[in-house]
Amino acid sequence: MTKRVPDERALAELRASVRALRDELEQRFGVRAPETPDDDDPIESLVEASLDAKDLEEGASAEPPVEAARGWLEQLRDEVRVRFEDVDVVKLYEALRERIAIPSSGDISAEVDDFGLDLRYLARARRWLDWLYDKWWRVEVVGADAIPDAPRVLFVANSAGILPWDALMIAHAIERSVPSHARPRPLVSDWIATLPFSQSRLARLGAVRACAENAERLLAQDQWVIAFPEGQKGALKPFRDRYRLQRFARGGFVSLAARLHAALVPVAVIGSEEVHPILFEPRVLRRLLGIPVPITPTFPLLGPLGVVPLPSRWRIRFGEPLWFDGVSAERAADPLYVNRTREQVRGAIQNLLDEELPRRRSVFA
Amino acid sequence: MRRGLAITGLGTFTGARVAERMLESDAARRIVALDVRLPRRLDGRVRFHKVDLTEPTADSLVAEILEKEGCDALLHAAFFTDPNPDLEGSHELEVVGALHVLNAAAAAGVRKIVVTSSAQVYGPHPDNPGYLTETHPLRPHRDAHALRDRAELEGLLRIFASRHRDMVVTSLRPAWIMGPTFESSLTRRFEASRVVTLLGYDPLLQFLHEDDWLDAVELVLERDAPGPWNLAGDGVLPLSTLLRLAGKSSLALPHPLLYRLTSLESLARTGDPPAAFYDHLRFGWVVDARRAREELGFEPLYTSQEAWMSFVVARKLRGYR
Repeated sequence: MTKRVPDERALAELRASVRALRDELEQRFGVRAPETPDDDDPIESLVEASLDAKDLEEGASAEPPVEAARGWLEQLRDEVRVRFEDVDVVKLYEALRERIAIPSSGDISAEVDDFGLDLRYLARARRWLDWLYDKWWRVEVVGADAIPDAPRVLFVANSAGILPWDALMIAHAIERSVPSHARPRPLVSDWIATLPFSQSRLARLGAVRACAENAERLLAQDQWVIAFPEGQKGALKPFRDRYRLQRFARGGFVSLAARLHAALVPVAVIGSEEVHPILFEPRVLRRLLGIPVPITPTFPLLGPLGVVPLPSRWRIRFGEPLWFDGVSAERAADPLYVNRTREQVRGAIQNLLDEELPRRRSVFA
Repeated sequence: MRRGLAITGLGTFTGARVAERMLESDAARRIVALDVRLPRRLDGRVRFHKVDLTEPTADSLVAEILEKEGCDALLHAAFFTDPNPDLEGSHELEVVGALHVLNAAAAAGVRKIVVTSSAQVYGPHPDNPGYLTETHPLRPHRDAHALRDRAELEGLLRIFASRHRDMVVTSLRPAWIMGPTFESSLTRRFEASRVVTLLGYDPLLQFLHEDDWLDAVELVLERDAPGPWNLAGDGVLPLSTLLRLAGKSSLALPHPLLYRLTSLESLARTGDPPAAFYDHLRFGWVVDARRAREELGFEPLYTSQEAWMSFVVARKLRGYR
């Protein structure tokens, strides 16, 4: 039986490094491993044993040093255990989760309303929404006294920013200004509905897909609704067109408000149009992927980080409400009347924007 | 006096259970069954006629039977419970066969026809409104052949009803039927302890309990209710919540991957590509059942959640997971 001899120099190096490591550990924890004769160094015998596993003699002689090695390992483990004994990992995790408070699948309740609003999920997300509202965008509300105390109110706002951040923030602003009424329901544009992840979360937070049937159902239930008549054209308008209202579709919101006798409140949001400055939106990509892909200075350049909205300072201003109490059903269906009122609302919002814009000193400060 | 009720498709859940209920509640009523075979437990209690609706001359045969038995109402439930991979044969029965029955009923002087359709004929679409009313256009999933056939039949029914104004033509569009005993390809999909879902999509779903469904069928057989009717339990629930309530886990896959992975299995089983089913777990197709409640007085006893839970509990007790 020939015994292979390991490379002497490599073995010596290995032995030295192990010794150094052990010394360091002993120094740090003040523990002395039981003295072992040099010949029976655990590593050496381990190496030798692994080199020739058939050599039972060597294996047997390797036993006690392995025992010694386990000794200081166990001591190390005890040491660590003592240091972290009073730390409750579960509590730490819970505290961290409470602090960060990003709602997860564990925060859904067993009941949702007609359009999927989940109150438990909303309560969980509230801290996070508060943070966005107070710290990130530092939202300032102007003219909240103008919000009427009516059962049915339709808010009409300028839209921007690809993702419906403005919808969430306006809902938040109205809820804070009029706490007596339930949180208003923002209508979000169609293409969000096809976008994975966002629709289910937005629905739990109260957002509803924008269409006439949904808005009518909500208003008929005496819920407040926030509409963005610019639609997708508004959300995806290029940066150079910021605060310039796009066309207001067919004015379905006017005939709806007139038919259901809802008060119509124009809302101007300053700051939302800078959160995702769109440089351009290539038509080719929209054709290829089926969803609009806006190019901003950060997206898709920075990947997922590019989705983080820029922290501009926001101002939400509410205008004087329009009332439709005396409007008959025939008039509400009259296209000329609807058209005129639609342009009137559009002008009102544009005026609010034009008034507010020069008042701010800088976009971010 | 004509008192007969003809039921086609006695082998289906709806046909068999409505026949049993009718036999119990109204002993004087004669039940005339038209099917290729008779369920054993109804043997001797109904007047059975062996009819294959896919035969080219089925219409005159059916007309003869309806005339002879003196039927004043007809429940047409002869549809495949599961999508049939035999696309041609499926179309023969679901559209051509149904047309035979309609024409025969008109010829034999039947006063009322009730057809069991499905709320799925509206189709899952990202641009669906939150609640689909009966007046919404029917846009079934373009890959789901059974649902397209059903939508085609609904179109034929409308034309048929406008030609025969003296007849009451009803179609029922129930949401997914759930309950302790009802079985379909859908319930089998949800029986697994791990349900495949689409990553990032969490649609609102609604269900109709099987007892409520049978009540609704009985209701329209008793009362005259022409036109289509949406039927669904109260309330909606997101898919993720349903699975949580049932203690099932979900396997969320991105839809392009899922469609590729399951296309062969799905083609073999249903004859449709996987999107035909999975798009129903992707986009909303919730129906507005208010009209049936207000005009028909149909009050479902079970909410969507209760219908779902009764299905889940029954399956658990049966040893499924």
